[in-house]
Amino acid sequence: MTSPARPIRADTPVAIAPVGDRSWAWRRRLAYTLLIAYAILMFVPFAWSIITSFKTLPDSVRLTILPDPFTLQGWDFAITKLTPPLPVLFFNSALIAGVVTVTNLVLGSLAGYAFARLRFPGREVLFLIVLATLMIPDQLRLVPVYLIFNGIGLTKGVGQYFGVILVVAISGTSIFLIRQYFLTIPRELEEAARIDGAGFFTTFLRVMLPLAGPALGAVAILTFQGTWNGFFWPLILLQDQGHYTLPIGLLFFRTAGGFATIYPPLMATVVMATLPIVVLYVFFQRYFVEGIAATGVKG
Amino acid sequence: MTAASLARRPRAPNKGRAEALAGYLFIAVPMALFLVLNVGSIVYALFISVWKWNLRSGPVEFTGLRNYGTALSDPIFQTAIRNTLYYAVVWVPLTMALGLFLAVIVNQKIHGQTFFRAAFYFPAIASSAAITTLWIFIMAPDGIFNQVRGMVGLNPLFSLLGFTANQNWIGDQGTAMNTIILLNAWTTSGTFMLFYLASLQSISREVYEAAAIDGAGAWQTFRRITFPLLKPGHYFVATVAVIGALQLFDQALIGGGVDGAPNNALMTMVLYLYNAAFKQFNFSYAAAIGIILFVVIFTATLVQRRLFGQAPAW
Amino acid sequence: MRRQLLAALAALTIVVTACGGSATSSPSQAAPSAAASAASASASAAAPASAAASASPAGFDANAISGPVVLSGWQSSPAEGNALTQALLSFQATYPNVKVDYQPVAGDYPTVMAPKFASHDVPDLFYVNADYAQEWIAGGFLAPLDDYIAKSAFDTSQFFPGYASIFKGADGKTYGFPKDGNTIAMAYNTALVTSAPKTLDALVTLAQSLKGKSGLKAPICLNPGLDRGLAFLYAQGGSLLTADGKASAIDTAPSKAAIQWYMDLFKSGLGMTASDMGAGWCGDALGKKSAAIIFEGGWLDPSMTSTYPDVKYAWAQLPTGSSGSPVTISFTVSYSIGADSKNKDQAWVLLQYLTGKDGMTKWTQGGVALPARKDVPTPAGKDVLAASSAFAKPGSGFMVGWPAVQKAFQDAFTAQIQGKTFNADPVITATKAAIDKALAGG
Repeated sequence: MTSPARPIRADTPVAIAPVGDRSWAWRRRLAYTLLIAYAILMFVPFAWSIITSFKTLPDSVRLTILPDPFTLQGWDFAITKLTPPLPVLFFNSALIAGVVTVTNLVLGSLAGYAFARLRFPGREVLFLIVLATLMIPDQLRLVPVYLIFNGIGLTKGVGQYFGVILVVAISGTSIFLIRQYFLTIPRELEEAARIDGAGFFTTFLRVMLPLAGPALGAVAILTFQGTWNGFFWPLILLQDQGHYTLPIGLLFFRTAGGFATIYPPLMATVVMATLPIVVLYVFFQRYFVEGIAATGVKG
Repeated sequence: MTAASLARRPRAPNKGRAEALAGYLFIAVPMALFLVLNVGSIVYALFISVWKWNLRSGPVEFTGLRNYGTALSDPIFQTAIRNTLYYAVVWVPLTMALGLFLAVIVNQKIHGQTFFRAAFYFPAIASSAAITTLWIFIMAPDGIFNQVRGMVGLNPLFSLLGFTANQNWIGDQGTAMNTIILLNAWTTSGTFMLFYLASLQSISREVYEAAAIDGAGAWQTFRRITFPLLKPGHYFVATVAVIGALQLFDQALIGGGVDGAPNNALMTMVLYLYNAAFKQFNFSYAAAIGIILFVVIFTATLVQRRLFGQAPAW
Repeated sequence: MRRQLLAALAALTIVVTACGGSATSSPSQAAPSAAASAASASASAAAPASAAASASPAGFDANAISGPVVLSGWQSSPAEGNALTQALLSFQATYPNVKVDYQPVAGDYPTVMAPKFASHDVPDLFYVNADYAQEWIAGGFLAPLDDYIAKSAFDTSQFFPGYASIFKGADGKTYGFPKDGNTIAMAYNTALVTSAPKTLDALVTLAQSLKGKSGLKAPICLNPGLDRGLAFLYAQGGSLLTADGKASAIDTAPSKAAIQWYMDLFKSGLGMTASDMGAGWCGDALGKKSAAIIFEGGWLDPSMTSTYPDVKYAWAQLPTGSSGSPVTISFTVSYSIGADSKNKDQAWVLLQYLTGKDGMTKWTQGGVALPARKDVPTPAGKDVLAASSAFAKPGSGFMVGWPAVQKAFQDAFTAQIQGKTFNADPVITATKAAIDKALAGG
């Protein structure tokens, strides 16, 4: 079979249907139509949010497609009237989500690789513990974690940032996902590296990690988005208003700011909160295309 | 050289020790965090669950397994268990299938591949609070869904199934949970699509080429080759899905409030725990619920490990 | 050296166990010893804080107190934020030495406060909703105020009993004072209802005439729970508990009749839940013109003016029922000091100001809430609601385990409405069981 040197793209399709066959063309068109309809359906709620943000308040409770009149009132309200102001909320959210994503990628890939490929006593039991961490709802963890954090000063001042980051710095899902991915990469590559004299860390860094593009991309997207939208721990641990993240700031604004039923600015804030994730997703999803699949499996 | 033969090969003793050391080092930081923040929490919960526990002043009275007995005999908790299991049994396969379907489509080099990839993932992007509120708005008695199905003429079909034209989907005890299932299937299908995409990427091109040469059609290729090769992916998605499903909370809270209205139709195990802890301020009881939940999820995960057997590269 | 260390350790151990002992006795369990230790605790806390106080042991001189006080609570509207700012500014002018640090909670107040209680790190003065006041008092989270009341000669006579009684513990001590209140009254669309019904019978007649008119989904928007139903239960001469609060009274004849009467409103289509009308709450239903008559509190006003300014409505007293006398239910929130609060004296200075005549006037004059005191003038436009305070009974927090009782009623009631059986008996059975369980100690 082929030598390990040739990278393969696994996203090129098997022949779904021979092109030029009449019945297949008809089916293909139908499939496309359904897909496009479904895809558009996915955007409908957000389209509605965007549209509502440009409406006036009385108009916003009506189910019309076009704002009448078209106004920037909602956006102006949201941008100028928030306390703490939007840039602060964005900064806090970005800082926390960014750091947590990096820690998940670093710690997750190391641990995921170890659980997939390194042999050490108690490995399976330890992995079960990793899985077990996913089975404890945050509501149950609240009091013990808070007691610990309060004891070491992570509930006051700047420590609040550390607290929120620490509690989600590494997620069992990240380790699990990366482990499963590494399991599918044939051992030959590592063997070759070790024969060449590479140590465990070098093998991990130079050989295995570059192959893990899709998994790392998935972890990056999921972690950033989960932390960005994260609600529970920021609510509990970020007590100073200047430290609020976007979801908490928006919640506070919905109640204390009286936004709850003032839909235009509310929708404007929803759009603003979602935009960074869309950008990030578009940026990271290319790893699914460029991810280099492993080579053929020898018989 | 198969994986099995590699494993059987004797290793030089210090190489084994070096590998073990590397293994422990690589997992050290995560395991330390997990030990303190997660295992510690379970130990705390276990401890306080056998007492009558005052949140501020600590132990009041040793009660042994009384909290557990009370929980398991409470009809509301039993409903919560039933609801949660029902949700898991219906939602997990539904969303896995949807996610896999979307991943396979998006993995093809079709026109607008990037567009579809973004579109299908979109519902997963928004925060659960925002999207659930939106869903409640859409599924309200005079909401978009009811209006559109009336306009499109689907109402007779719905009446046949026993639904009125003004059906209150989330507010009615008979339909509330199913409505939440649909909501979560829609939003989480994008996430599972992502997981399956990562998995699909690891299947070698040559496998498909060989199948094509042997004359396999698209469905056959999928069923005989792709699907089985995705086993590690299936295992991951199924495990994560079940663990997540059994902890349904956000949508239940937003849809039905802290009491799981209407009439406990949306009462899930975690919502029950939350209710016990932060509405009734009975923390030892809440801890017992948490332990029971943990045992249920852990058992389900172990069963899944057995079911999925030894995936090829274990 | 070592012997000195051991002696110090021994002394420390004795001191710690002594203090720990008095701290863990919650008020409901050991009343006499708690009173003694509370008195000594507040005396020892007062001593270092104010030299002037120790000079006059019988009194508490608020003007002599200085220091920070951390104030916490939630904020439900921008108007509330403004009103509180005004009240705090006025406080600062009166007591310039006490600095207020306001730290509101963004959401889910009980969940955020719970770990604070556990870690003994609580704000100095904070809100306590009547909904969970009894739970927090019984749990020992709040500091008893009787000492402060006596030493400051704080006049408690002006509080409406319906509000103040909620914050008394089973030991008879006071654990907070209501900062304001809200009563339930009838709000009706003036375009559809020309004159407000004065009795429940008149209400039914009116509703029947409105049925099916003007695009109404139902004439009246009602909640399937005791959060409103309790008012109707009282109005028809029923009750959940006996007068002494020691046994359930929900299965007496008047109670049964009252609940069936409430159920029949749904049965006849005169009443519908907000959810079935496609509204988040009955205020939305009134605004969307799905209902003509609703039963809400003062929070309706800001909501209607901002979201549904075109709908004209008016307030009227809850119609009287077969009991003959006007009655309604009220909701309130207290200012309370935590048992672990660090600046209790300063917190008391703030508390007695905000719940005193001047502070409460400043707070309520904007119309965010009703005064909880008789001597505070009624805010403009709130006459009906404020007048109801005089005869309002507590709508929550009057018994330990209230959340479970409320839930039992609502679950059973909803099952009856959605199952279309409209039978009050299962509701009464379920609620009675919950009440009995709560009275027995949960």
